[in-house]
Amino acid sequence: MSERISNDPPLPAAHAVGPVERLHPAFLIAGLGGSVRAVSGGYAFLAYLIVSGRFSTALIVGIGIFIVSIISVFVYWRHFEFRVGASEIRIDSGIFSRTHRSIPFDRIQDVDISQGVLARLFGIAKVKLETGGSSGPKADEGVLQAIPLKRAEDLRNLIRSRRGAAAATAETASGVSDTPTAEPIYRMGIKRLLLAGTFNFSLALFAGLFGLTQTMGDFMGFDPLSAAFWQSVLSEDPARSFILAHQAAAVIAGIILLVLIGLVTGVVRTVVRDWGFRLDRTEVGLRRRRGLTTITDVTLAVRRVQAAIMAGGPLRQALGYSELRVQTLGHDEGSGNHVVAPLATCGETNAIVEQLGWRRLPHGIPWTRVSSGYIWSLMVGLTPLYLVLIVQLAVIQYALFQVQENIRAIVWAEMTPVLVSFFAVLGVIVVAIGSRALAWRTTAYAIDGDRLLVRTGWWKKRLTLLPLRRIQSITLHESFVTRRFGIASLAFGVAGGRAGRGYSVPAIPREGARGLRDRLLDVTP
Amino acid sequence: MIAGDDAPLLQVEPGYRNVLRVRSAIFWGTITIAALIADRALWADTPVALIVPAILIFITIVAVGVIPNRTYRRLRYRLTDCLLQVMRGWLVHSDTVVPLVRVQHLDVVRGPLEKMFGTSTLVVHTAGTLNSTVTVPGLSPERAAEIRDVIREHVRTDFE
Repeated sequence: MSERISNDPPLPAAHAVGPVERLHPAFLIAGLGGSVRAVSGGYAFLAYLIVSGRFSTALIVGIGIFIVSIISVFVYWRHFEFRVGASEIRIDSGIFSRTHRSIPFDRIQDVDISQGVLARLFGIAKVKLETGGSSGPKADEGVLQAIPLKRAEDLRNLIRSRRGAAAATAETASGVSDTPTAEPIYRMGIKRLLLAGTFNFSLALFAGLFGLTQTMGDFMGFDPLSAAFWQSVLSEDPARSFILAHQAAAVIAGIILLVLIGLVTGVVRTVVRDWGFRLDRTEVGLRRRRGLTTITDVTLAVRRVQAAIMAGGPLRQALGYSELRVQTLGHDEGSGNHVVAPLATCGETNAIVEQLGWRRLPHGIPWTRVSSGYIWSLMVGLTPLYLVLIVQLAVIQYALFQVQENIRAIVWAEMTPVLVSFFAVLGVIVVAIGSRALAWRTTAYAIDGDRLLVRTGWWKKRLTLLPLRRIQSITLHESFVTRRFGIASLAFGVAGGRAGRGYSVPAIPREGARGLRDRLLDVTP
Repeated sequence: MIAGDDAPLLQVEPGYRNVLRVRSAIFWGTITIAALIADRALWADTPVALIVPAILIFITIVAVGVIPNRTYRRLRYRLTDCLLQVMRGWLVHSDTVVPLVRVQHLDVVRGPLEKMFGTSTLVVHTAGTLNSTVTVPGLSPERAAEIRDVIREHVRTDFE
């Protein structure tokens, strides 16, 4: 084991890195608990052996698990080294695959010191260093499993003193006025609330009912969604003959009922969630209060806001309303998208945007539309579906041109699934290309000073405001299909969203994409 | 234009090709052997015998003999005064740029294969939820550490 370490060519030591430190030897005992817990599958097996009465085997397996735990703790300890430098901490870990991690102090958001019972006995502590990195679970970023408590506190003080200046500049850099205003910057009256509810038209109730009958139907002994149920209900009723006689009227009445239920569901859900919606400006950020049964009170720190999104369907937009969301990076309130105005006019949206310390949206944004290659590349990309379509056509044609009467009858009897799947595939293709064509008309981008504006979607329209200094990385994507059309897409990594989700602009002519990227990087400090 | 745009696009160590070859040989080789065993055991006497293993052997040959070279040739990186750029991919091409001031923390990772062929991988962590890690594989350990130190300097000077 030790040979492996010495064989590993030492990485050139940087000037300002301190001496090698190791975890406290007491980790060999204190860490055993965690390691023993880690082999949970082993215990299930052990329990199974005991239950089935094979005690000697169980004993051997139990001892085996224990020995493996001891060895793994020892090996982890043996291969774990860290060094504290003037401006960073380096952690070298791993047995077969060595990871040499470097965490700059300036990026450490939080130092978390914790002590278990055993650890307290030995005077050691576990130190967790949190950075803003978005990959994987937070615990993986920088964990020192066991170091003397004194050393842990020294380390925390060192990091705090290094970060002190940085935090102060960040605070003033946000440039937020600290005067709390009594008047809310946005609130929803009852009329606005009901209007928002009608836009949240939802047939979720039916989906729920359907799911319920699928699971509960047998139990209840009837299925309210089956035709047989209604026929039996109406069998003795004079209403039955009436409904059967006026089928068209019944269908219309059914549709009206469906729409009404959808509207009511939407309104009720919105009222319960957004009752008394109120957005205030506080010293650090925007304070949002809402709710009928459960009142939630969330404060979104302004300097943690990464992007703002205005969303809305065609009807909402036609009436001049949109929903405003902000994407924040948070520790207390949680990261993600937060609705700060469910239904706001253009003026209200701009007022909230100004409260974020950003400029309002200019009139007549100079949009750059994306290339029509956006549609063409999808058409080419659907090639596998066309092949399916051709095969289906061949089968249908074979059936059509059967001359002999009796064979034709047999073949046609088997044709229904082929016809259904043919129209299904055709429908998918038509819908995909049609919605892409509609999306192409609205997809556009613009640079507005120090921020990027992106407009996407046709049914659910979104306008994203992305400050350039919030862009963490830019990736230009090309594939063998899009290259034919001379287009590329740009994807932007932004902090605080869901994992793997970013913002992107599709189908920009290749040179334009490179130019846009250069311009964005140019502004980025 | 990007500051320091004249910095050349660099290729990684040639040893990286061998890392890729051994990796795909292990991956596709395992699948091929499994398919071969399944083929002999399950449908040795049917007309479709040996078709699946034959296809897999062909894929293995391509994946070991042809693709690593192309992947290696198309993997380029550039380190300028203010950003790290990584270009990769053959059929699907991606070109990622990370401003150095946005980097959160850095890893230099060496797996057993990489040790065997004298390469290592630089992993740059950013705060973005898309591309939260940007990797540059196939660097010599010295070069990886050098880039790591350059980037770390930029991280340090961000707030000052």
